[in-house]
Amino acid sequence: MYRLALNMLFGDRAKLAMLLVGLSFSALLMAQQSSVFFGIMSWTYTPMVNIRASVWVSDREVEQVNDAKPMRDTDVTRVRSVDGVSWAAPLHSSIMQARLPNGNFKLISLVGIDSDTFAGAPAVLTVGRIEDLRLPNTVLIDEWGANLLGRAVTRPDGTVETVPLGVGDTFELNDTEARIVGVCRVKRAFTGGPFVYTTYDRAKAYTAGVRRTLSYVLVEPRPGVTPAELCDRIEAETGLRAWTSETDLWTWGERSLARSTFWWFWRNTGIPFSFGTAVLLGLFVGIAISGQTFYSFVLENLRYFAAIKAMGAGSGLLARMLLLQALAAGLLGFGLGVGMAQAIGRVMIEKGMPPFVLYPQVLVATLVLVLGISLCSALIGMVKVARVDPASVFRA
Amino acid sequence: MPDPAPAIRLRRVDKSFGAGEARIFALKQADFEARAGELIMLVGPSGCGKTTLLSVLAGTLRADAGEVEAFGRRLDGLGQAELTAFRRANLGFVFQSFNLIPTLSVRENVMVPLLIQGASRAEAVRRADAMLAKVGLGGREDGPPTALSGGQQQRVAIARALVHEPRLLICDEPTSALDKDTGQKVMAMIRDLSRSPDRCVVVVTHDHRIFRHADRIAEMEDGRIRRVVDDPSTLDTPAS
Ligand SMILES: Nc1ncnc2c1ncn2[C@@H]1O[C@H](COP(=O)(O)OP(=O)(O)OP(=O)(O)O)[C@@H](O)[C@H]1O
Ligand SMILES: [Mg+2]
Repeated sequence: MYRLALNMLFGDRAKLAMLLVGLSFSALLMAQQSSVFFGIMSWTYTPMVNIRASVWVSDREVEQVNDAKPMRDTDVTRVRSVDGVSWAAPLHSSIMQARLPNGNFKLISLVGIDSDTFAGAPAVLTVGRIEDLRLPNTVLIDEWGANLLGRAVTRPDGTVETVPLGVGDTFELNDTEARIVGVCRVKRAFTGGPFVYTTYDRAKAYTAGVRRTLSYVLVEPRPGVTPAELCDRIEAETGLRAWTSETDLWTWGERSLARSTFWWFWRNTGIPFSFGTAVLLGLFVGIAISGQTFYSFVLENLRYFAAIKAMGAGSGLLARMLLLQALAAGLLGFGLGVGMAQAIGRVMIEKGMPPFVLYPQVLVATLVLVLGISLCSALIGMVKVARVDPASVFRA
Repeated sequence: MPDPAPAIRLRRVDKSFGAGEARIFALKQADFEARAGELIMLVGPSGCGKTTLLSVLAGTLRADAGEVEAFGRRLDGLGQAELTAFRRANLGFVFQSFNLIPTLSVRENVMVPLLIQGASRAEAVRRADAMLAKVGLGGREDGPPTALSGGQQQRVAIARALVHEPRLLICDEPTSALDKDTGQKVMAMIRDLSRSPDRCVVVVTHDHRIFRHADRIAEMEDGRIRRVVDDPSTLDTPAS
């Protein structure tokens, strides 16, 4: 009888199509919006991904990674002296204006790393060597930023093309020359701006006039000491704040700076609200379309359900038939919707805009919600079928 | 020959619909009997309560008062679940409007009563195909019922009504949606295929042309059986 129940629904192509449109649209909206949400949220803690160190030490007041509070240079030494520290290096991070050769100004993210250890250096250099940063007035720029700061060139045929900045090109930071010696590949950030890497000492020069330039102290624990343990010791001995650098949403610990950043943005921006609204909208649209369609499927087939009932099918069997029909449609709709979300996501990932992170957990949640929608639809149908009088089969 | 014990017996059955001013008494102290092995027709003017009586003896409608007995078992007083089980085990239906499920194949429609009874799919397919061959629709099993003519659809419905060998076959106006010739053929098929010593067939009809297929005819008027005619040929032509 269950197979017949499925054939009954699948035989009604128009209804099935409507149901699938509703359910898959709902699944698409929920999965896609959640993924963009997590994508954008992952941008908020980009520095944690790009700058690799097990432990980050900051001022006590820091709540999220993009908003560093300057510390004294001597804090590096204080951290270094804590037992269990293998090495500790200074890190500078600030937003600055770069003056381009054509006279334009653009905001950039300046990152100053320790020139002895290069702790915090980008993982991938597509052009150049990190050691070249030891040459005077040199910087690295990230690929995407190189494009953004590139100059427009008019070709002989009249088309305008952007030529990205490359090795040898220069711009100015605070009237001081910055010469590009390498191009790196890093993850995009929420705060936008191209990343310009230089040494910690040169960052001081570029930010001339700023008294305190130490944003973070990057620390690596000795073997046998966990980052979390080291954080405790550093905080106890220096009074500074120490963080771990886990960036995996599902496993990061209490002390993760990425986690604290995520929740800071959660509390202080409209991002969760606006995406939450979109997800809710998907849910309601799904319930509305598929609930309505399933209901009209049941209404249209009510006399057949009544006939089946007259022939001796119990209400339990009828309820299970409806449930199966609704859940089958739900599964199909989920598959279609998530397939579309993934296809759209692939395009987004290629373009890098907007960010898109499809977690398996989001898939599971979407599946649960879509099946929940199906369940609601089935329940509406069940009420209708339970109420139908089997004697009605004799009325034309 | 003494009358055999009736397979179906209704005694002093009342049934009304609605309440207050609008209350309609569809059955008033109705008595009715049908015997095993016979085909009995229920005739009478529109609104006299034929369908209501049929529904009560089919166990799809509960009487307000009176006794309903089928195959030695009292149906009045049974709960909804027990009535459902009774219908599942004992009933076959043929409806005026066929009620074949359009999105299922002809074969699947005929399989429904067997599957409801819990038969395996293979068993249901085998018996449905055999039954469809009997009604002359072998070869049409896989198509949709909507591709068939009215008479053919009603034959599918007959196959569905008999495939599980029910003891009681109930037909409400089985020929009124069909033209004269087709109606005759369908009624003849109901008579021939349903005939069995322990099966009882009740047919509600307006169609006097098919009266001759009945063993007995019960005439209804205003909510009760007025008389039962043992020789249908006397009724073959309408009185008017
Ligand atoms: N579910 C119902 N609700 C209200 N009134 C009903 C209902 N079923 C039947 N009736 C009324 O009960 C009376 C008997 O109806 P019933 O359908 O049994 O007549 P019938 O003899 O089958 O008529 P027809 O030949 O037109 O089919 C009619 O007056 C009808 O309007
Ligand atoms: Mg009627």
